Amino acid sequence: MSAPRLVFENATGGYGSTTIVRDLSGAATSGEVLCVLGRNGVGKSTLMKLLFGYLPCLSGRVLLDDKPIHGLDPSARHRLGMTYCPQERPVFDELPVRDNLTLMRANRRLAPFRRYFDRFPILERRLTQHAGTLSGGEKKILSFVRGLAEDQPIVLLDEPSEGVQWENILHMEAFIAEKKAAGTAFVVVEQNLSFAERIADRYLVMDQGRAMLEGTPATIDRSQILAHLHV
Amino acid sequence: MRAASLVVLVAIVLPLVLGQFWAYQLGLYALYAAAAVGLGLCWGHAGFLPLGQALFFGLAAYLSGLTFIAFANVPIVAVLLMPLFASVSALLAYAIGLLVFRRPGESGAYFSMITLALSLLGFQIATSWNSVTGGFNGLKGIPGIPGLDDISDVYYVSAAALLAVLALAGWLFNAPIGVLWRALAQNERRLQLFGFDTNKLKSVAFGVSGLMAGIGGAIYAPQQGIVTPQVVGFGLSADLVIWAAVGGRGSLLGPVVGTLLVGSLTAQLRDSVPFWEVLMAVFFIVIVLVFPRGVAGIAEPLLRKIERRKRTKPSIAAPANPAERSPARLALQGVSVRVGEVTILDQLSVDFDQAGIFCVIGPNGAGKTSMFNAVSGELAAVSGQIGLGGAEVMGLAPNRVSGLGVARKLQIPSVFPDLAIADNLAIALWSSRALRLQLLNPRLRRWKSPMLDELQSRYPFLASGARKAAELSHGEQQILELAMALLTEPRVLLLDEPCAGLSPEETAAVMDLVRWAAQRLGGAIIIIEHDMTLVKELAEIVYVLHNGALLAKGSVAAIQADPKVRAVYVGGEK
Amino acid sequence: MDPLIVTQAINVLYAVSTLAVLALGLAVIFGLLGVLNIAHGEFIMIGAYCAYLIQSWHWPYLVAVPLTLAICGVLGWLVEWIMIRPLYRRPFDTLVATWGLSLLLRKGAEAMFGLGYRSVAIPIPGRVDLLGTEYPIYRLVLIAISLAVVAGLVIWYGKSRTGSRIRAMVSNPELAQAQGISVRRLAAGTFIVGTCLAGLGGVMVAPLVPVQPFMGLDYVLRAFFALIVGGLGSVSGLLSGAAVIGGFDSVISAATSATNGYFAVLVLAILFLWLRPRGIVARS
Repeated sequence: MSAPRLVFENATGGYGSTTIVRDLSGAATSGEVLCVLGRNGVGKSTLMKLLFGYLPCLSGRVLLDDKPIHGLDPSARHRLGMTYCPQERPVFDELPVRDNLTLMRANRRLAPFRRYFDRFPILERRLTQHAGTLSGGEKKILSFVRGLAEDQPIVLLDEPSEGVQWENILHMEAFIAEKKAAGTAFVVVEQNLSFAERIADRYLVMDQGRAMLEGTPATIDRSQILAHLHV
Repeated sequence: MRAASLVVLVAIVLPLVLGQFWAYQLGLYALYAAAAVGLGLCWGHAGFLPLGQALFFGLAAYLSGLTFIAFANVPIVAVLLMPLFASVSALLAYAIGLLVFRRPGESGAYFSMITLALSLLGFQIATSWNSVTGGFNGLKGIPGIPGLDDISDVYYVSAAALLAVLALAGWLFNAPIGVLWRALAQNERRLQLFGFDTNKLKSVAFGVSGLMAGIGGAIYAPQQGIVTPQVVGFGLSADLVIWAAVGGRGSLLGPVVGTLLVGSLTAQLRDSVPFWEVLMAVFFIVIVLVFPRGVAGIAEPLLRKIERRKRTKPSIAAPANPAERSPARLALQGVSVRVGEVTILDQLSVDFDQAGIFCVIGPNGAGKTSMFNAVSGELAAVSGQIGLGGAEVMGLAPNRVSGLGVARKLQIPSVFPDLAIADNLAIALWSSRALRLQLLNPRLRRWKSPMLDELQSRYPFLASGARKAAELSHGEQQILELAMALLTEPRVLLLDEPCAGLSPEETAAVMDLVRWAAQRLGGAIIIIEHDMTLVKELAEIVYVLHNGALLAKGSVAAIQADPKVRAVYVGGEK
Repeated sequence: MDPLIVTQAINVLYAVSTLAVLALGLAVIFGLLGVLNIAHGEFIMIGAYCAYLIQSWHWPYLVAVPLTLAICGVLGWLVEWIMIRPLYRRPFDTLVATWGLSLLLRKGAEAMFGLGYRSVAIPIPGRVDLLGTEYPIYRLVLIAISLAVVAGLVIWYGKSRTGSRIRAMVSNPELAQAQGISVRRLAAGTFIVGTCLAGLGGVMVAPLVPVQPFMGLDYVLRAFFALIVGGLGSVSGLLSGAAVIGGFDSVISAATSATNGYFAVLVLAILFLWLRPRGIVARS
């Protein structure tokens, strides 16, 4: 039985006085992917920000290994073992690709990235270029590689496939599967249902800030999800 | 009126109670207080901090001194010219304001630094221009105003000048322009979007403060008999800021209290109490960080007890909206916006009908809010055209675009939190109806329009006029901002996520209001929304944006069936 | 070469390089953190008074450097903690608070040393023959040190890990936090670097200017104008701003009077504010 690493219970919050998400519950479990699905504006990214500490919970709790992490800011949560790849502005535009990858690592060696470079050669080709010159999809790949290479037990990805070509999305799927086998817990926000179906072990489908559907691929029908995704 | 008569009474009686020495001191500090009141106007109301106010005080003082010396034989001429000296200071301040308040966006720091530099420059000029100013030792031997020999006469002239300045300030604070200044300090962008030229407003405030300082300076020269560069330089400028802060910069009498108390005390105690000036500096920092209302803030509750409760005066009908209000089509053609290396809008071409409810949807980063920003003149486009009923709108400043009949409700509820609800609504009414000079007329604060009556009957909380907007709940603030936008009776109403963060009941109320507004105004209402229930209920036509361009346009059903839209919303395998 | 021209040229070089160093601290804090520290000039003043004290205690001049770094460092840390951090999103309140700080520091200096001018003896006196004219050695030393400091800081900022992390924090603070950078600590450190640079500048110029409590005002204004003219956020901006402001000031003051030089600088700044508000080297 795999252990839930990151748990959120009745999480409610938003920006300032505006409540965007209400009563959301779920968990990131070792070796599993929790996929958060929903249209734009339903609050998926807001949920991620609540989990990672950018926004405070107005009510409800977030627990890391059974310990509440309310007051902790994002850099503290990172130090406790959480990795976050944001949806907007996923890289440091003004730094070269190489620095984006190695900024917070112990040294600047690129050997640990070999496996990633083999699948995503574009990154190796552009090592010295500013990340701002990459296309949207390439930035997402860079962010993805940086995040996974941090080798932390809990990984939060916000729309990792946005703008990414299908063959690279399949590579991402392969890396996520590798990490799952090694015990990493994932929470992945996605809008691409085909990708979500390939990686998800559990679904949380949101609309208007609330949970509409919760379950596994076995218990939730594709058409139900589609109804909440499409306009 | 009660408080005012009390103040006048105190002013008359003071020298009799305190004796000659203090009469003289207060006579001098009353002049400084006039400058401090002007500073309080800029800082406490309009929200910017001049660090060189002594320049205007000293300039008028030098002009006055030179004139009194020149016309020593016909002093009456100099006396008659005194208003002119104050006006020179006022005009200089206004001109500097126009020059400096041009940057779009945050100009506070730049303004403060430049006024500081000007004061230092003034000091340099006064010190080195020996032939005219008497250099470092100053302009000496200035004859006094004829007929005033007694020290108490001198005091009464100063007190009268200060009272005149206070009367002017009091009137302005109460007039619409005072409300606009306070609104500016709280939310400048929102005020611009109501059609007000905020740079001009700030310049006027600065000009008035120059006038007040000039009045003090003009009297200073004949009163003191000597004008030295200190009166134009940094030391006095810094003192004025301290006095205004300690006394309470947002209130009418605060700066006066600060100047008279702290100023005269400092003069007495500076030598006897060790580290007095250091203590004052610490005191200033504490006041600024912790008690921004100053001494006046402590006294305010007491003063309120003295004031008789004001009878609510009858409301006045606002004039009809003079601006062109016939329906107009909003059309964007090939509009491209780039920020750095990122393309935000990509040759965007969108056409809206002149009347109806339209919804704009699309993924994050599609450019929806940016499109609104481009229309309202807040985002510069590198190419393309934006037309409103045939008139070219691109490149106009935000307040001009508003003047053409475009109203906006912003993504985050954006009202004037520290102003009363009634004032918030009044600002919307003044938006395109009030002529510039009318902004000096306090009667405008009682304006009403038929639309306001209808809105207040639908939403009773809009009628509790005295409450501050910040006390309203999130949903009520959304409705207040929407009401304010409607009161301008726009031709095109841009609503950015009007239902964000609202409960289902509040959402239904807003949807109701939008439908009513569409009928009542007869113009176009364009809504950015993510909430599909709302889009399905309200939209006559839906526009889908993606990557800064128009992806699809049509009825809700047509959009739902469109495979391009589906691909964007559901994703696929390519 | 005409000795007068040589002297003037070196004077301009001196004015520009010292202005660059004196503006550097303000550029770091304003350009990177977005905070206008009006008390910047007072940190320069602290450096100058430290030099004065060291000399009056008959210690070697260089000891003034660690003393200044210590005082400006501790003071910078305190100020960042008490005043700057709570007011980060409120630039106007920060302005007022740092103005209050500058007042406090000035009055403190006044209380300790009085209003009179103090003078600091030049640690490396004498002149040297240069291209046909004699020029004070100390000024040449200052030019060299200024250029070295600016160059050193720029290289460090561009190449070092901490420099990269600061650039990351400035360009995308949310992502920086996500990767574990403690933005609070990094911002505090950056602020302290700014105040220490100011103090260092004060130690450097102390022998050449009258040391008095109000000396900082001139410097903070000139530094600020250099930033307006040159543009925030880049080294080339700082240098071009220093070049324009320092150059104009030096030439016009020498040709006419100090007041005219000041006036010219002010007019320039207002012109740039008006016509080219992002500065010579505009960066988004």
